[in-house]
Amino acid sequence: MATLVAALAVCAALVHSHWLPPSSLRVVTVAVVHGGLLTIAFGWAATSPPQWRPLGPSVIIILVLAGAAAGARWDPRAAIFYLASPLWLTFMTINGRLDALGLRWPIPVGGSLLGLAAGLTLGGHMLLAAAVTFGHRVTTDSLVLTAIAYDAGANVPSSELFFRGALFNRLQRRWSFAAAATIATAMGLLRYLLDPLLPRAPEVIVGMLVYVTLLGVINAWLLWWSGSLLPGLVASLVFFAAYRMVTAV
Amino acid sequence: MIGRRQTTGLLVLGACVIAIAGLAADATAQAASPWRHAYALPVVVGALTLGLIGGTVTALASLMAQAPTLFIRVEAVGLGAGAVDELVSTAVLLILGPLLGSRVTEARRQSERYATILAIQEALGDERPLPELLEALCRLLGDRLAATVTLAVRDGDRWIVAGADAPAGDSAAGCAIVTAGAVFVPDTGHEARPRRRLSTPLSVRGETVGVLTVERSGELTAAERRALVGLALHIGAALENARLAARQRRFADELAEKVRAATDRLATLDRAKSAFVAMASHELRTPLTALVGYSELLATRTFSSDEVRRQAEIMRRQTRRLAAIIDDFLDLSRLERGEAPPLRLADVAVGPALTAAVELLGGPQRATRVIIDCGPEVTGVRADPHALERILMNLLSNALKYSPAHSAVTMRAHAASGKVVISVEDAGRGIAPDALPRVFEPYFRAPEAVGRAPGSGLGLAMVKALVEAHHGGVSIESTVGIGTRVTLQLPAVP
Repeated sequence: MATLVAALAVCAALVHSHWLPPSSLRVVTVAVVHGGLLTIAFGWAATSPPQWRPLGPSVIIILVLAGAAAGARWDPRAAIFYLASPLWLTFMTINGRLDALGLRWPIPVGGSLLGLAAGLTLGGHMLLAAAVTFGHRVTTDSLVLTAIAYDAGANVPSSELFFRGALFNRLQRRWSFAAAATIATAMGLLRYLLDPLLPRAPEVIVGMLVYVTLLGVINAWLLWWSGSLLPGLVASLVFFAAYRMVTAV
Repeated sequence: MIGRRQTTGLLVLGACVIAIAGLAADATAQAASPWRHAYALPVVVGALTLGLIGGTVTALASLMAQAPTLFIRVEAVGLGAGAVDELVSTAVLLILGPLLGSRVTEARRQSERYATILAIQEALGDERPLPELLEALCRLLGDRLAATVTLAVRDGDRWIVAGADAPAGDSAAGCAIVTAGAVFVPDTGHEARPRRRLSTPLSVRGETVGVLTVERSGELTAAERRALVGLALHIGAALENARLAARQRRFADELAEKVRAATDRLATLDRAKSAFVAMASHELRTPLTALVGYSELLATRTFSSDEVRRQAEIMRRQTRRLAAIIDDFLDLSRLERGEAPPLRLADVAVGPALTAAVELLGGPQRATRVIIDCGPEVTGVRADPHALERILMNLLSNALKYSPAHSAVTMRAHAASGKVVISVEDAGRGIAPDALPRVFEPYFRAPEAVGRAPGSGLGLAMVKALVEAHHGGVSIESTVGIGTRVTLQLPAVP
């Protein structure tokens, strides 16, 4: 983590002194923030039996995210490389590395369907409310696909693995569900408020606070109920896909 | 209670009402639609049927359903009366749903707790051994609490455990026993869902008599834990009540058994006394008849001096027999009052005492031979001479009575560490093993002796009482078909 923070600081200094273009800071930020969250989650997962060394998988995921972010800056179609991240996570899941985070094989079909329903309900409601109330349009252009790829590869996995898989999972083993869900959701909300890559329209941010809070609680409950992180991942992915389709008029 | 079908029906009805409310709502109108109150229906139904979760979810759903029109109204007409009306209605539902739901949930929990306590009382009311009761209780609690339940109860020095192994010293249950307080483990392992465990002591009057452990995959809320601590107290009290009731039943059974035994014994004693009265009358009549007969003969007729002497000797013997019977009665009466027979202790030579007893019972004229084997080392005993004579005569007369003709009765005496051991051995039919332990009881006569030879059933009882009054001891050995030996020990002359 210190290395990641140091890399971010060096990059910021180089951008500030015009040694690097400003876009490189965004690439490094994506890699450091999402890679950092995933690294912490890996570190916590690696302490539970069977124990393993998290350094290699963490470096790989950071490089994947950095590469995808750099590619997406160069050409939006390169955002497809973000999908290497879920592939790598799937590989780790099959190898049993992420058991402690709630990702294990086989996948819970019923729970995943419930997660899909939750994501569709929240996302659908958000689309409806945005369109009816604020007159936002729904779009499905290539930028949306780029954003969805970013969500699928970086935003959703890092949030769910860190805030639910690691943080909530640990907290619920010490405290009650309500306390654990409240803290994990509040932390997740904070992370979204600080995310510079999300739309900044006020009504979108206010709406996002409501929906992300509901999504956080629902995902915590899905993990508690099913014992698996996958339903929450599905719900988040569907919701964020809907979220990316909202375009301010 | 509202059933599942009715709940579904009401929720569908609520959804229809909401849809109508949504269609009827005019977001640009100044006044709020009266249909907005229709949102209360699913919220109330959800809270009443599904409790806290139902109330909260339906309240949130109603908020989500109203939000688009509400925001449009605020945007279209500002915070006018209609918008405020709708905002207040929504806020009321947001408060009403969780509040009503939480009350319903709490009422249900209370009801379940009372039902559980009643079920526990019923389960512990069965007259079954404690291990079986605990197993039944574990199953009952496991079903009601949807959890794995373990009960460990102290029974004297051992632990009776139902539902799992005995609690280890360092386990939550062990800590609960040691600290006499509830121990909560938020997660017991590395399963996908946390397994909560609560161990709480079963206390009776401040003493820990056991421990209840409840383990569940999922939530075990603080309210549930508090309820379980209270439940453990109820179980402790119920177990103690069950234990006391079982003890009372055992005591009542034992008492009934003792009363039955005492009644049987009294009936036996009564029969023995009746038999004794009949026998005593007969025993007294025999010498009396002889005395009356010979005295009338002497009074009415004239006999030679030898004949008079002979008849006088017969009368003397019958008088002694009569006196002996009356002495036995008196001593028995004294014994029944718990008094020891009066003794005048003196140094009595054993050999002459044995010889005198033989002579008093007919001497060499008898068909049964009496052998006296008294070693020279036997000096004497410290005893009442009259009592010793009665002891020896009783034993010898018994031996002679039950010995076949031309057999021998042996009277032996030898010294043994400050005591003199005297035994009287016959070659009679012997006594059955089941009757042997009772031969020293007053009025008891062995069944095979009744009707075969006269007797009061007091002889051996008197012997035992007299020997024990001398601080001695008496025992009997007998083999059916071979004979009987009575052995007594008396203190030797120092």
